[in-house]
Amino acid sequence: MAFLLNLLPCPNGWAGDMTTGADQQKLSAPSSTAQRLYHAAQDDLLQLRILIRNGRAQSSVGSGFLIGTGNLVVTNYHVISELALKPKTYVGEYVDTHGKRGLIQLLALDVQHDLAVVRIDRKGTGFFKVSRESPLLKQGQYLYSLGNPLDLGFAISEGAYNGIIHRSFYDQLMFTGPINAGMSGGPSITVNGELAGVNVSKRLDGELVSFLVPIRFVRELLEKAAPLEMPPKDFTKVIGQQLLAHQAVMVDNLLASPFTIKALGVYKVPVRESDQMRCWGQSTDKPENPYTLERIQCGMESSVFISNELHTGQMSINHEFTKSTKLGALRFSEMAAKAFKNESFGNQKDPRLTGPECTEMFLNNGTLSMRAVLGVRAYRKYPGLYDFAVLTFSTDESLMNLQSRLDIKGVSYENGLRVSRIFLESIGRGK
Amino acid sequence: MKAPFFVEVLHRNNEVRHRHRVDTLPARLGRGYDNDVILDDPHSSAHHAVLDQGADGGLLLQDLGSRYGITHQGRRLSEMSLDGSTIFRLGHTNLRIRFADFPVAAEMTDSMYCRWEGWQPAAAGISLIICLAVVGTWEGDAEKFELMRYLIAVVATLGLGMVWCGGWSFANRLFGGNTRLGRHLFILGCGLAAMELWSIACAAFAYALSFEMATRYGDHVQIAILATMVFYHLLQINPSRTRLFATASIAMSVLCSGLLLISNYNSDGRLADELFMHERFPPALRLSADKPVSAFLSNAASLKARVDEKRTKLENSDKVNGEDREEGDPQPGK
Repeated sequence: MAFLLNLLPCPNGWAGDMTTGADQQKLSAPSSTAQRLYHAAQDDLLQLRILIRNGRAQSSVGSGFLIGTGNLVVTNYHVISELALKPKTYVGEYVDTHGKRGLIQLLALDVQHDLAVVRIDRKGTGFFKVSRESPLLKQGQYLYSLGNPLDLGFAISEGAYNGIIHRSFYDQLMFTGPINAGMSGGPSITVNGELAGVNVSKRLDGELVSFLVPIRFVRELLEKAAPLEMPPKDFTKVIGQQLLAHQAVMVDNLLASPFTIKALGVYKVPVRESDQMRCWGQSTDKPENPYTLERIQCGMESSVFISNELHTGQMSINHEFTKSTKLGALRFSEMAAKAFKNESFGNQKDPRLTGPECTEMFLNNGTLSMRAVLGVRAYRKYPGLYDFAVLTFSTDESLMNLQSRLDIKGVSYENGLRVSRIFLESIGRGK
Repeated sequence: MKAPFFVEVLHRNNEVRHRHRVDTLPARLGRGYDNDVILDDPHSSAHHAVLDQGADGGLLLQDLGSRYGITHQGRRLSEMSLDGSTIFRLGHTNLRIRFADFPVAAEMTDSMYCRWEGWQPAAAGISLIICLAVVGTWEGDAEKFELMRYLIAVVATLGLGMVWCGGWSFANRLFGGNTRLGRHLFILGCGLAAMELWSIACAAFAYALSFEMATRYGDHVQIAILATMVFYHLLQINPSRTRLFATASIAMSVLCSGLLLISNYNSDGRLADELFMHERFPPALRLSADKPVSAFLSNAASLKARVDEKRTKLENSDKVNGEDREEGDPQPGK
């Protein structure tokens, strides 16, 4: 599943056609409502740019909007992530619809919901208001999404609200309308100009399937940010705390109900099918091959964006069942061993994580004998967070093999062990 | 000390290069053509030294006023008495004088098995290499049978084997006088067979007893087998240098093992060849008992201290490298 966070990274943004001002008029003609809304909102609409401090070359571009009559701007975390992680390398600036520029100061962020609040040197006109109550949205009603798509110029696009989706651990709104790269962090509003959400991402494998962060999360973050005089010194620490909070939610959610047990060959394997995790099956039964292979792969469709290099808060489960009658025990074992050898626990020289530490054993969970390896890596910048991987193969049959793998990323040590235990205890042999 | 006498010009390794027969004494040595023994050495004088019977009946060598004189064990002498094993130097030439009644050592025992030469060891070696190529391919062949795959493996292995043995034969011809290709092929075949047997035995042993150390460090034994192979190759070239070649092979083995450890440590931060044992064998081979899940997880829990320590180490080294440096920034000095 490919998601595109609607951040416009440079220079990719220029890879498209170099549209000039005259071409902008070719964008679909806005309805009269859109004209009215854009006109009313344009003074509070901003483009946010992250520049390399040294030389001021553009690194990424997104959108943002001024809240009320204050100087606070709401955007996506992923628009300003470089500013949070490498404040010595990057600097942020805003450009408004009149072309005025100024520096931005990062004040607060929320990696779980992909939101951030920055402060600028001018005030809003009061168009975008975050009220105590979120607006009641009905499926099918029009929403208008604002931002600066592809760095071409400010734009408004029309689409329909299509309900709350639960694919990530936190609610998102489905918006059936165009959100392009560069519009991230821009507002989506109703016909009456009420804030509905913040543009965040779209599905690359769909048409016009985009997502908004509900406005209640914006309200929560603004409540935290508004009283702040100075931003926290080290945003890495803040992100670390938020990731720890996220993993607690994630693991509790994943373990809220027991794993679903599916049959795979003669074995029973644990999978998790929920709103957040999807499973896909695959079978390769080529008659010319002397073995058969069946596979179940489960993965989460969302992850927490930290930087372009680091996405975390993910879990995946893979099972692979191979069986042969033609190969003979020795060659079948050799083949299974090769597949096991191909599994990796990650690189020692990774700048994000430490190299893996492993433990391995022959074990029996009461129903099945297996060989198990557990590898764990620590996040270098975020203490208390780990990536766990559990790898097993069944050792009870000479011509059948079940190889399983659990990966869970960005969890506390306790939670990593907790999920590993349940995974290991759930693999079994059918009757 | 009976005539005739023999003046032997020696190589630096004390092998005889030339031997001049001298029937009567005194005999003069030097570069000039009027000498009894002519030295082809520009550092020797025209009339360098004279060899004669001494008062005690032994041999006596006297300098004839040459520029560099007679050198023995690093010292310059004007005259010296000689027995059959004294080696001295005139100019840059090493010499030794022997005589008719010089006692020689008993004949050597044949350690080379001269009959195991030629096509027999060659055939044995080639058969071994072909067998190993076929078995190796069969072992890893989990696809539909194709004869071509086996043929290619056999040809490729034989080709590489011929290159290896060809090199040794060339060296053998150059330094030992014979090519001994058959024997080199046989040594290669035996070496490869030993390596294959070890890799299977080591993996099976590790799997059966859950003794992962065997697969973690098993490749050092392979290096030792390779060094032994090299030792036997060298021995074909010169069978009398057993000790030298043994020392050289052991040194090579230690060096290669050291390099393997260093390269593992460099690339993966550990000395072992692999992070975890990947071997798998049929269940009948298992000897060790299965442990409960709780034992495994308590081991897993104890990894926390290790991985945290790794993290702290990395954090500290980041600080040492410059606190201003941020993730992804170019490192100073690079």
